[in-house]
Amino acid sequence: MKQHVAWLMTVIVAVSVSIPSRAQTTARKPKPAPRAVDGKPDLSGVWIGTGPLRLMAGEAEVAAARQADIDEGRPAPRTEPPPYKPEAEKQRQYFLDRRGIDDPMARCLISGVPRISFRPLPMQIIQMPDQMVFLYETHHAFRVMPTDGRPHPDDVEPSYLGDSVAHWEGDTLVVDVTGFNTKTWLIGVGTVHSEKLRVTERYTRDSYNTMLYRVTMDDPEVFTKPWNAEETFRLRPGERIREYECIENNEDLLRIERLLKDESVFKRPATNN
Amino acid sequence: MVMRTLLCSILLGTVALSAHHSFAAQYDADKPITLKGTVTRIEWTNPHFHFYVDVKDDKGVVTQWAFEGYPPNMLVRQGWKKDVSLKPGMVVTVQGWRARVEPNLVAAREVTFEDGSKLTSGPPAGTGGQ
Repeated sequence: MKQHVAWLMTVIVAVSVSIPSRAQTTARKPKPAPRAVDGKPDLSGVWIGTGPLRLMAGEAEVAAARQADIDEGRPAPRTEPPPYKPEAEKQRQYFLDRRGIDDPMARCLISGVPRISFRPLPMQIIQMPDQMVFLYETHHAFRVMPTDGRPHPDDVEPSYLGDSVAHWEGDTLVVDVTGFNTKTWLIGVGTVHSEKLRVTERYTRDSYNTMLYRVTMDDPEVFTKPWNAEETFRLRPGERIREYECIENNEDLLRIERLLKDESVFKRPATNN
Repeated sequence: MVMRTLLCSILLGTVALSAHHSFAAQYDADKPITLKGTVTRIEWTNPHFHFYVDVKDDKGVVTQWAFEGYPPNMLVRQGWKKDVSLKPGMVVTVQGWRARVEPNLVAAREVTFEDGSKLTSGPPAGTGGQ
């Protein structure tokens, strides 16, 4: 019996050495996330998504970030195609065919949630024991998220960013967002939604320099099932959020109005957006 | 993994990035252009900075071209300095893409200065709308 056990242990050890897990072969232990005084991960800092990093900091920094992900065993963000019902998909295709000219953002209206998280301008998170404050350079937008267990207020009016309440599930900040108007797009061109939209965001600072962002958009009016998207935020040490007064000199408004009068501009389908 | 890549591709095909609006709404990625001329005016404003360049053709006829690029908050992150990097009278070469309708409007991607140095002035073609 002892021999059998010894043989089995040998096999297990041999297998575990010869076929190590992906984490064992690739992961380099990153610098850990800092902790707040209450023991929660401290999400405070200036952050930007990996996709937007390309515009803000260039290809070299994106390549370095991707390499760090590989070295540290961090999965690449994954975003599904939007699971629209036929009527909503028809609306999205309409906006795509018009190459995004109807984008509310081009008129300087606040991007909603989660679109504002994917913008190529940074955001700053300020963490307090009973609330989180998110400051966005985009549109000078802000979100205050109570984490003290209170529910959504009962007088919420439909708005661009909705109403957010948050709680911790282990080391993940989970944000429940409701109370949206229908004047925003969810992520890409034409990603419409109804006032029944409910967004659940999950922020996990998995290392000092990175924060995983997983978001679920649930809207039974337009989707056949919840839509999931992901991004990895990057800490930007030394960066600060700056002013961005979008409406200052928005010549796009005049050009868009001129373009909208010329339907021939939209006769061929979009080749890019 | 293949499926993951495919899914990402599907979505990224429809969502990309600009600071403000869809590139393709106003500009044509199939119309790249490079122009050299003398800067006449700069608008250091949001949501885009604009600058105007007098371009002389082979026959000596001067045409004013308008260029659109990043807002100031993005420009400073690319190394631009207001009133220093670009001034009236400078000769610059600008690479970008032409507007779909306006005949002398360009989305400016990169500005090359007389000493050969370059600064990124706007997003690449095809981006916008995320």
